[in-house]
Amino acid sequence: MGTERKSRTDKELWRSLAAERAVAPAAVSDLDFAAWLEGRLSEAATARIEAAVAADPELRRAALDLTDILGKPLPVPPARLAVRAQALIGFDAERETGRAGGWLGRLFPSGPLFALQRAAMIAMVIVVAGAGFVMGGGLGDSFAQQRYGSDAQSTARSTATTSSELSDLFVVSDGI
Amino acid sequence: MTELNQTDLQTLVTGNKRAWDTFVGAAAPLINAVVRRTMASYRLGEDDVMDAAQDVFVRLCASDFRLLRTYDPARASLSTWLAVVARSAAVDHLRRRRQATEPLDDVPEAVLGVEDKHVEKLKIPQGLLTERQTLILKCLYDEERDVAEVAVLLKIDAQTVRSTHHKALLRLRAHFGDEPP
Repeated sequence: MGTERKSRTDKELWRSLAAERAVAPAAVSDLDFAAWLEGRLSEAATARIEAAVAADPELRRAALDLTDILGKPLPVPPARLAVRAQALIGFDAERETGRAGGWLGRLFPSGPLFALQRAAMIAMVIVVAGAGFVMGGGLGDSFAQQRYGSDAQSTARSTATTSSELSDLFVVSDGI
Repeated sequence: MTELNQTDLQTLVTGNKRAWDTFVGAAAPLINAVVRRTMASYRLGEDDVMDAAQDVFVRLCASDFRLLRTYDPARASLSTWLAVVARSAAVDHLRRRRQATEPLDDVPEAVLGVEDKHVEKLKIPQGLLTERQTLILKCLYDEERDVAEVAVLLKIDAQTVRSTHHKALLRLRAHFGDEPP
């Protein structure tokens, strides 16, 4: 009986017939199909999948191909396949996940080392800003400069007003 | 395959970079093999195969690993489920590519082949054959696979395939009044 004994008449008989179906077989989920391929389903579930596989040539070819692939040693894939796929998830994604742990997680998403680096940077910024401020004379000088500057400006402004009043007076008297 | 089936899924779906890289390393040989086999009858270039394989990984991690989260280890091993997912993704990739622009020469004859509808076929009444008998006959005659392949697919021994095939043909001959050879 086997392949070697599949007579022409058996094949011809089969090819002259068509399986009749009252209802179309139900769709098969990936997980159900995988479970069926592994022989993990109950008898009823197996019959349902077998009906679907018998009715759908694409599903039948998938079953035969996948059984063959899963039962053999796999060839080594091209290196770029893994490189491209690995690039789909970056360290950014990992950091995003780390942020899920509340405000502390947002502040220090990559653990204590990152926190230490961040603290050192903030301290350095404060030192540099402070040094720059002191070198510039500090608050006292700044206030003094602002104050004297405004006094000098108001003196200049009042002098200018007096002189313009005097010139107006002379112009008016000339006109008389 | 063992390494793949030992994947720490809980860590993987959190977006952990190291877990993802390890998973990709373990899954790449299987996905590569499935995609290549699915696309084998189409005369496509290496870039198409790589794109289809990349599609599988994109599907797995898209929308916060939604597809990967649907996997249930209690029902099937990760390798078998992944092989099924890879096959579906490769078929979809081929469909999309065919819809775009494809010269007729690139489509295999088997895909273009149309069944001759003029040949009147006798209908096999429902219930005459079991689902398993129908499947075995289809695998042997329509797909032209040998008994050993069908036995591996159905997780039964070759002798059971032979006897099921024999019983199915006896039923058909008895129903259609055809004497066995």
